[in-house]
Amino acid sequence: MVWATGAALAAVLFFTIVLLGVVVVNAAAVFWPEAVGLVTFEDGSRVLGVRLDSAVNPDTGVRTVRFKTGNRELDPARLDFHWYEADQIREIAYPEDVFVLERLENGNFYGFLEAVRAPNLDLPETGDSGEGFRWALAAARAKQAARIVPLTDQLSSLSDRLQSVRHAVLRAEYEKKRVLAGAPAGATARLDARLADLAEQEHELKAQSDALVVEQQGQEAELGQNAAVFRTGSGATVEIPLVEIVRHYRPNAMGFGQKVAHYFSKVGELLTENPRESNTEGGLFPAIFGTVMLVFLMAVSCFPLGVLAGIYLGEYAKEGPLVRTVRIAVNNLAGIPSIVYGIFGLGFFVYGIGGLIDLWFFPERTANNMPTFGTGGILWASLTLGLLTVPVVIVSTEEALRTIPRGLREGSYALGATRFQTLVRVLLPMASPGMMTGFILAMARAAGEVAPLMITGVVKLAPDLPVDGAFPYFHPDRKFMHLGFHIYDIGFQSPNVEASKPMVYVTTMLLLVIVLSMSSLAIWLRSRMRRQFHSRTI
Amino acid sequence: MPTIDQARIRRARRHDRLARWIITLGGVTVIASVVAILLLIVSATFPLFRPARSHSIAWTRLPESLPAKDVVGLGVEVGVGGHAVEAATAYTMLRDGTIRFLDLRDGVKVQGEQDLKAAGAARTPGRTIVAVERHAGSRNSILWSDGSVSLVDVALAPELDERGLRRMKHVVRELGSVAPEGEVRPQTALVRRDEEGGLTCARLLPGNRILIVRQVANEDLFGDAGIKTYRTTLDKGIPGTITAIAMDTEGNTLYAGTDNGRLLLWELTPEAGIRRQETAPAFRDRRAITSLAMVFGDVSLAVGDGKGGLSSWFEVGRGRQRKLELVHPLRSHAGPVREIHPSQRNKSLLSLGGSGAIHLDHPTSERGLLSLDDPKTPLQSIAFSPRGDAAIALGTGGELRLWLIDSPHPEISWETLFGKVLYEGYDEPDYVWQTTGGADFEPKLSLVPIVFGTLKGTFYAMLLAVPLALLGAAYTSHFTTPGFKNAVKPVVEVMAAIPSVVIGFLVALWLAPKIEEWILGVFASMVTIPLVFVAFMLLWQFARRYEPAKRVENGYEFLVMLLVIPLGAALAFAAVPLLEGLVFDGNFKLWLYETMSTRYDQRNSIIIAFGLGFAVIPIIFSIAEDSLSSVPHSLTAASMALGASRWQTMWRVVLPSGSPGIFAGTMIGFGRAVGETMIVLMATGNTPILDPSPWNGMRTLSANIAVEIPEAPVGGTLYRVLFLCAVLLFLLTFSLNTAAELVRQRLRKRYGRL
Repeated sequence: MVWATGAALAAVLFFTIVLLGVVVVNAAAVFWPEAVGLVTFEDGSRVLGVRLDSAVNPDTGVRTVRFKTGNRELDPARLDFHWYEADQIREIAYPEDVFVLERLENGNFYGFLEAVRAPNLDLPETGDSGEGFRWALAAARAKQAARIVPLTDQLSSLSDRLQSVRHAVLRAEYEKKRVLAGAPAGATARLDARLADLAEQEHELKAQSDALVVEQQGQEAELGQNAAVFRTGSGATVEIPLVEIVRHYRPNAMGFGQKVAHYFSKVGELLTENPRESNTEGGLFPAIFGTVMLVFLMAVSCFPLGVLAGIYLGEYAKEGPLVRTVRIAVNNLAGIPSIVYGIFGLGFFVYGIGGLIDLWFFPERTANNMPTFGTGGILWASLTLGLLTVPVVIVSTEEALRTIPRGLREGSYALGATRFQTLVRVLLPMASPGMMTGFILAMARAAGEVAPLMITGVVKLAPDLPVDGAFPYFHPDRKFMHLGFHIYDIGFQSPNVEASKPMVYVTTMLLLVIVLSMSSLAIWLRSRMRRQFHSRTI
Repeated sequence: MPTIDQARIRRARRHDRLARWIITLGGVTVIASVVAILLLIVSATFPLFRPARSHSIAWTRLPESLPAKDVVGLGVEVGVGGHAVEAATAYTMLRDGTIRFLDLRDGVKVQGEQDLKAAGAARTPGRTIVAVERHAGSRNSILWSDGSVSLVDVALAPELDERGLRRMKHVVRELGSVAPEGEVRPQTALVRRDEEGGLTCARLLPGNRILIVRQVANEDLFGDAGIKTYRTTLDKGIPGTITAIAMDTEGNTLYAGTDNGRLLLWELTPEAGIRRQETAPAFRDRRAITSLAMVFGDVSLAVGDGKGGLSSWFEVGRGRQRKLELVHPLRSHAGPVREIHPSQRNKSLLSLGGSGAIHLDHPTSERGLLSLDDPKTPLQSIAFSPRGDAAIALGTGGELRLWLIDSPHPEISWETLFGKVLYEGYDEPDYVWQTTGGADFEPKLSLVPIVFGTLKGTFYAMLLAVPLALLGAAYTSHFTTPGFKNAVKPVVEVMAAIPSVVIGFLVALWLAPKIEEWILGVFASMVTIPLVFVAFMLLWQFARRYEPAKRVENGYEFLVMLLVIPLGAALAFAAVPLLEGLVFDGNFKLWLYETMSTRYDQRNSIIIAFGLGFAVIPIIFSIAEDSLSSVPHSLTAASMALGASRWQTMWRVVLPSGSPGIFAGTMIGFGRAVGETMIVLMATGNTPILDPSPWNGMRTLSANIAVEIPEAPVGGTLYRVLFLCAVLLFLLTFSLNTAAELVRQRLRKRYGRL
């Protein structure tokens, strides 16, 4: 029987290892540049692709191999992945000059470079087409940075101004209605004048922005004429505009060092760039930022309150049936499902408080069905999470205070210190590692929590970060992205599940690293603290 | 020796007092608010069970120029902005063929007048209105004294003016008319217009006959639009005198009630032929049927009878036949039911009884929502606003009363939430959760499949988690070396920290396809792993007799097991093709479908068992391990000293002392499994079914909230029912946790003494 218990433990550990192993194995390989094979079939046709896995059809016994063939826009069914029968493959070669292009749209492209056509870029003459391609790409990017990026910036600031004018129009119209409801006509001359003024402003801004859009489109069209010509595996030639190309490499020609460098540059992109292609490519920066911001706001809102309540329960409250009940209640609140907190956050924060704020400060937007605070946002999501973690903080504060030996308190009182002095000078410093452990565990839990966020303001793609350069710099009403939700969203709501799988694994890995390192830190802190206490009390 | 600075002491004391106040106040506030705001969730569900409320907003008389006895038709509409009634307009149709609009705010003001006499193709000068029947909220079938019938839509539409206030716009449109037929004078008439513009008219003629006229717009071969008219007289097989008739909006089904308690149903073909005639003996005591109306959705028929009974009926499949049956009995009136007015928003019915009482009832929930009694004023007729938010009553002396009606959740009762309900279109009462009502406009919100799904998922998860976690805890607490114990505990804690979204994702997208592929292997390994285990034990017993094995220290068993498990699994997978070929005709899923008639869903209860089980194992493990470890060493040492084996010590000494902790751990794990959202959301199909089979999925309370709340309008029925789900979840987990906590506290006390 003892062996059976051992087997149970082994099974538990086995599960854990398998789970972590699956994530690590799948995620770690995502960014490694795989060799691209030129597959020649028995009938003579050819295709370029990365060999993935193979399977045997149980009914027919035919072995099939799956390739990632990219070039989605050229495929009749717009698929990235294809299964080929193993018998049909005559040979797979790995020519060194295969290019892999990562593009803004349509996923990866595999092909051979033929020529560069850059009518409006001035390029130095080179004999080598590879060199020419690099020059052209650099020139196109420089031109884009010089000509188009400033236009885009101007456009976005114009659209901000347009938005604020539109809000002002709404407000003026709302006020006009209010005045009209209680007064004869004519009392609204001032508002009418203001409305006319605003309409003129709006018109002007609109005209400016339209002009800019035209200019931008012109520039883009001009720049878009610069293209590189590639030949696909099947021999077709394809022209790809240089501005579409995000990254290019030749995996078959790369040495180990180059591959490592490529790997880390991809990891860098993951951590700092915005997502592309409905979140299945590019980076995770907004999601990372959203997660960190969320946990930070949560910590700021709930830790002080939790500590206050914990100190009260541990040090000030008179022990009695009431306090015992409260303690059990608080303990239990930590075990309430997070979705219950989520629905509470929706009902109380979003529709309750948010609705009231809207009613008081933005009645005109509410009337036009444009809620500002009355809809999910990072503030409400973090407060909801804060509520969820307050019980954890209270309990850990109380526990940390309780583990301090009685003698220390009595010693402090004996020296004439008041209760407050004892608390601030003796107890809190001693309890701080324990409290810290509780905080970190609470933050780790909050970082991995998704269910309550789904109904209080997380979105799959937020156009703006909650913090940016536009006044008032911090926007607590904005929706945000989150790593955990990202996993759920691209894993389950994405139209192209197969293409999004690598990204899901990478996101999972990142979330696991964040959460597990936080909790490991907490566990380590706690074990160190235990040793300290043992040495002190003895 | 320095003197004590008195001021400093005073300052310290002041700080102390201040701090005590602040901390006490702050602490109490935080705790109180955390508890209080959770109570707010409960309060969001209260309106579900509140009876409907009425609020009388006008109590006046018709102007002298409009005698009540001349009023043949009545209608009302209100415009409510915020909390104020900004517009309240009624209309009366008079016998002379005119319609008056009355503004009912501050007394009665005639707002407008319109003559309907001009309506109709073949009109007789000086004709008057005989009867008016209303359906679909605003459509009136008007029977004229010359025998012609017209369909007139009287729409009162509240609209916002430039000051943001509601005004009532009235639009009167004639939608069609049917010419008189000879010299017969019908008693009542119904006209329906379908979407293509075809008209169906049913006229109840003296002599117990019903004349049907169908005008179908059609195109002939040359593309010319024309109107074809078909006629039928229904006079066969009518057992008694017809007292009331009703028809659906498309004009395809006609119902009639007789004075001897029979209900008749005719299904009409487009050419006005009779596809089917049905006679149902409605009441044994042969009470007269006095009033009929179609319930919103056109499936159910509301029947009012001579003894004041009100009920809803629809056709239910019985064997191969469909039978009109009484499904929902509603509250009875004191006298015969005179009028039934269906709401156009839900299936509520407003009825007027012989005693003058007005009832508002909902058939599906069988709830009596409201009674409007006014015994002093004998009532002539009533009307219901199309949106069901106002009712008007006209007394025989010209009294007018207008009520605002607030009945936000009529379809919810304990019966519809937790009982079996026979819904329209179903043949048996059933538990159904279906929020997007199909063609019949009725959301079905039974929580039973959801609660069942929650318990089912939790059950399968606990089936996996409890044995593994408890046995593992037993091993870690007493059988392994302290060094391993210190290594294993952090690993389990790290396991607890893995976000559930990660587990859910892996289980759904990685494990589910794998298990689907290797389902037999999974089952086979449940056999082979124990087999390999037993074989290994026998081998070990044998090996222990020899010197090198003897020296292997106790406490490292699980390392060996880490090898035995994959070995057993490998054996199982190797045996799969053999097994599948021998027992399951080569394809397990097909076999499952054919012999057990269950379909194999990819995301099923087995997947949930792994995912949810994995999520709760660390919780159960930690608590159980703590409580087993806290059994004093003196007890185990004494037991071992008396010659008990390790397992005997565990079973007889440690387990009884640690059982409260094990109980507590299981309870808390149970609570966690009940409330876990992301894993079930991702790894089940979220289908709300009542089926304990492990081959299909489920929908749990928590996933239900996550799935439905984005679609639920604030303050609506679904929104509040989802809050009710949250309350159930809260109560379930809170009581489980409290039980566990109390047990743990008792445990702590007991070992405090030892």
